[in-house]
Amino acid sequence: MQTLISSGADIVFNSLVLGGVFLIVAIGLNIIYGLSRVMNLAHGSLYALGAYFGFTIVGSGLNFFIALLIAPIVVGVFGLLLERVLIAPMRERPMIYTLILTYGLMFFLDGLIKYLWGNETRFIELPAFLNQTLTVGSISYPSYRLATLFGVAGIMGGLSLLLGKTKIGTTMRAASNIPEMVSVLGVNMKLVHMGGFVLGCVLAGLAGVLAGPLFTVYPIMGHEMLISSFVVIVIGGLGSLRGAVLAAFLIGAVQTLAEFFITDFAMVVVYMMMAVILVFMPRGLLGEGKFE
Amino acid sequence: MKRLFVVALCLLAATLLWTPRFADAEEPIKIGVIVPLSGIAAQGGVELRDGIEMAAKEKKTVLGRPIELIVEDTRVKPDVAVSKAEKLVYKDGCVALIGVFSSGVGLAIAKNIDKLNVPFLTTHVMTTEFYGLHPLVFRSGQLANDQTAVGNVKGILATPDLKNRKYYVLVHDYAWGHDGGERFVALAKENGIEVVNPDFDKAPIKTTDWSTYISKIKASGADGVYIVLITTVIPVFTKQADEFGLFENMRLVSAAAPGVTELEAGGKACYGIFGASCYSWDIDTPAANEWEKKYWEMYKAIPSDAAAHSYVGAMNLFNGIEKAGSTDPMKIADALRGISFDGPYGTVRISAKDNCMRNEAVLTETMAAPENPYGAKVYMKVLRTFTPEELGPPE
Repeated sequence: MQTLISSGADIVFNSLVLGGVFLIVAIGLNIIYGLSRVMNLAHGSLYALGAYFGFTIVGSGLNFFIALLIAPIVVGVFGLLLERVLIAPMRERPMIYTLILTYGLMFFLDGLIKYLWGNETRFIELPAFLNQTLTVGSISYPSYRLATLFGVAGIMGGLSLLLGKTKIGTTMRAASNIPEMVSVLGVNMKLVHMGGFVLGCVLAGLAGVLAGPLFTVYPIMGHEMLISSFVVIVIGGLGSLRGAVLAAFLIGAVQTLAEFFITDFAMVVVYMMMAVILVFMPRGLLGEGKFE
Repeated sequence: MKRLFVVALCLLAATLLWTPRFADAEEPIKIGVIVPLSGIAAQGGVELRDGIEMAAKEKKTVLGRPIELIVEDTRVKPDVAVSKAEKLVYKDGCVALIGVFSSGVGLAIAKNIDKLNVPFLTTHVMTTEFYGLHPLVFRSGQLANDQTAVGNVKGILATPDLKNRKYYVLVHDYAWGHDGGERFVALAKENGIEVVNPDFDKAPIKTTDWSTYISKIKASGADGVYIVLITTVIPVFTKQADEFGLFENMRLVSAAAPGVTELEAGGKACYGIFGASCYSWDIDTPAANEWEKKYWEMYKAIPSDAAAHSYVGAMNLFNGIEKAGSTDPMKIADALRGISFDGPYGTVRISAKDNCMRNEAVLTETMAAPENPYGAKVYMKVLRTFTPEELGPPE
């Protein structure tokens, strides 16, 4: 019985942690797509960049929480440069241009990471209190993983406030749904696109620092995360934030359950689910997906 | 005038006949080095490359010609590796191929060896399928899965803390992992070691979150874990397992030696990993110490098993070409059968029976390192040594 409770708790928490990390990366990807119709294939590499900045900041002796604050900002600034120099000039062209551009950017960033930090797997050191296992009855779980859940909740809460309760958020939501109307109303769309891209990059960087201590840091860590994020936004509906939340936790749960019970076919189940949803619900779980 | 023309013609003919021989003597012997320099095993690939490079610098010439290494990145992908092998042979004119850090990649190249028609010597491929696979295919490097399983089972039976435990088996989902899992399960059964999941778990190579596997291990009732995971991933798994408190009552035995760089990064979470392997810098022999000193001087890196394997493999290959007295593929292959080299982990001999090496090996446990010239904090302490006959397979 104790084993059953312990395994059940593990499955629930593992699902939430995995889904939470997927969510932060996928939301960033979704915001960029929703606001500027750029499918950013370099998003996974920006996630990796965040993790490496976090590793460097912690490695220099600063606290993990400082890394959690600074690394996403650095990735955001990097994103701003990318947007101004590379993405913005391509905006008027068909989406395939930015798709190819960001695909190339992904390899450039991977190479840059390898050049700056090497091939070795890196581990982000955590403060002692996060490096423990918490035990309640027969359930024991790593404290950092639990803290990650609070972190994800905090980020989502902050994002909800930004998008739902501020003028910037209202403009962003409107620009995502009816960009032509917002433009006619005199809103500087260049600024909206730029803001959306930077916000997406900040979220990627934040997810990288959060996930670094969970999954370790290595040059191509973003590739797998990019694929998982795509699965999330396809299932949730392209550009749909509510859909992404639902899809991220659904995938986290399905992947964790499948790994536990039918280990060898876990990923097959996840991709089968995506294929079925694509066929029967092409606009995602909530029918809010946008197509170009 | 006619006489002058004949003399000029003779001089020209003599020049033409002489020049290629002269050029041939100066032309380097090209060796194709196939290693992963990107992807999951990139660090291991760098160490393999460094070991081969070190051997080439030490050997300097083969058949009186300088050695030229041409390095290609496999990205640990069999299809990429095959096209790189084709490029190395057909375009660059390499007379032999060496390296490879994956059984899947090694087998893919081996399947194309008739077409490639050059000797192919692997230094980090553990699948048992390599025994007697092809007259041109050789292994001189990391222990094969059957040898590791024998070493680990002997180690488990001889170590009180490992002996009476129930083992959970977790492997990487590809040729090597499956082979390694099957070998251990079969041998464990023969020797009365209980395995709770004889069909063992197969984790995708790209797994980064091990939490579900760790939960399964916790729920299985096992108190020992046998892993067949790519060396660079071992510290990632142990770090996560440690966070879940898995090792409070459990012991870990690994089919592959963890990479030294990753051990350092993993720190204390990497203590207590048992496993049989060819090499650890704890081996204290004059040859090992001399090699480690040279390696450190060249790369300022902790001497690793991957580098030691590839160094020895390259030395066997270079000496084989020298012994063959030619770059003819079959002559080199004939020369490689039965050849041996005394290096950092004793005498490594390529069996004339099955083209795979036989050598001494060690059982190690990872723990806090004593003071050492490399500044390493974690090391693989040698617990015991196995003779080549103990590990087999019989010849």
